[in-house]
Amino acid sequence: MSDSSTAATFIEVGHQQLFKYSEGAGGDTFLSRKNDSDGRVISVLSDGLGSGIKAGVLSTLTATMALKFVALDIPIQRAAQIIMDTLPVCKERGISYATFTLVDIEPNSCVRIMEYDNPPYLLVRENTVVEPIKSCTRISRKNKRTGPAHEALLYYSDYRSRPGDRLIFFSDGVTQAGMGTKAFPMGWGAASVQDLILGKIAQEPDISARELALAVVQGAQQHDAYRAKDDISCAVIYFRNPRELLIMTGPPNNPEHDGEMARNFKAFPGRKIVCGGTTANILSRLLGKPVRLMLKNLDPCVPPMSTMEGADLVTEGIITLGKVAEILERGAGVGTLAGSGKFEEQAGENGATRIVDMIRDSDRIVFMVGTKINEAHQDPNMPLELEIRRNVIKKIQMLLARQYLKEVLIRYL
Amino acid sequence: MSEKINVVICSGTACYVMGASEILLLEEHLGDEARARVEIEGTSCLGFCKNSLNGKAPFVTINGQLLSSATLPNVIQKIQELLDAEHK
Repeated sequence: MSDSSTAATFIEVGHQQLFKYSEGAGGDTFLSRKNDSDGRVISVLSDGLGSGIKAGVLSTLTATMALKFVALDIPIQRAAQIIMDTLPVCKERGISYATFTLVDIEPNSCVRIMEYDNPPYLLVRENTVVEPIKSCTRISRKNKRTGPAHEALLYYSDYRSRPGDRLIFFSDGVTQAGMGTKAFPMGWGAASVQDLILGKIAQEPDISARELALAVVQGAQQHDAYRAKDDISCAVIYFRNPRELLIMTGPPNNPEHDGEMARNFKAFPGRKIVCGGTTANILSRLLGKPVRLMLKNLDPCVPPMSTMEGADLVTEGIITLGKVAEILERGAGVGTLAGSGKFEEQAGENGATRIVDMIRDSDRIVFMVGTKINEAHQDPNMPLELEIRRNVIKKIQMLLARQYLKEVLIRYL
Repeated sequence: MSEKINVVICSGTACYVMGASEILLLEEHLGDEARARVEIEGTSCLGFCKNSLNGKAPFVTINGQLLSSATLPNVIQKIQELLDAEHK
């Protein structure tokens, strides 16, 4: 168990990206990882010069190097020096091919940030912008011949995080949105972006990192008249009270444990999803609440959902969970704003998309998995192979921990 | 006023995969007369698949009577038979 799970705060990392209009690949790269062992979080946002695949390759290179160096505990200034020496420099423009903002959050709440050529980050604490002192280092490149005439400026700052803090950083596609238009000749501007962010937080004090990042990117897109003139990326790191989610699926191997399962379900402090007809029946019987199937808006591929008092959502089991794993693996429309930023299935909402939405709006997900096997599912006459529940859940756990930086616990019954 | 015919369609995993997804569209496929006389319910699990003596999925109950290996045509047929029996 990492410190961040036993402590009150959870580090929610949310980000949203929009590619430059009509570009197939993004020139901005955002990478983030969380150590299972100690809860350390490292995030990097890099903006490649220009846009498209060339910029994307260089920003990916930069971000990946930065992430790995910091994870290996190479001192942050040294890591920056190596990256600067490795990155090619544009002969004409005299600047590196990719920028970066690097955030390293230690389990003891110390946050260290290194910035090169991205708009400065925002630290919002109790609805005000706090500005930690930054020290500036000049980095001169080894190869003076190909290096720029002027030196690169790296900004380093560190501070102690507090619960409720929000760290927001973005590429210049955000601050320069709308540049060149009559209304915003100099672009949207850092000050206005700040106003939007503070406004959103004031309006919705618990706004999640994901939703805030989305709001910033949508704001930028709007200023670009809905045709992004540059890649637009925003990342938000929110030190929050964790939102908990229970997903209960499968009858206990031993029916004598049904009662324990029902008690766990009732006592859980967060939102609750039941996946599986048999599971729902057991809970329904023991908690005395009927389960009703919803026959409206049937989806062609995913079985229908049900309602039960005390549960936020009731779905079918293994088919739905398989679909959830599929959706999570595909990932959100990175580089596009799919609808309101929610995952979209072709046909609209179904049990799987609802589960995914709830997962994305949660920080800590607890799976309580009954291990009883239903022989009817293993009938060779079945037209498709039904995965074993445990395997699908394990897959989902890996995806959520690695790609979505969620905390996932699995309990078997 | 004659009572409604109660149809319960199981949409649990085995039933769904073996054809319940189609049977759930029952209401669209009934004639006007039948539609007015039928009360369609779904359930997330009837539990019949767990005992092979019950037959094969998908399972539907019509007025409590179990229909195994149900299909949309034979559910409609069964409903029609019940309606015809009333008319006699």
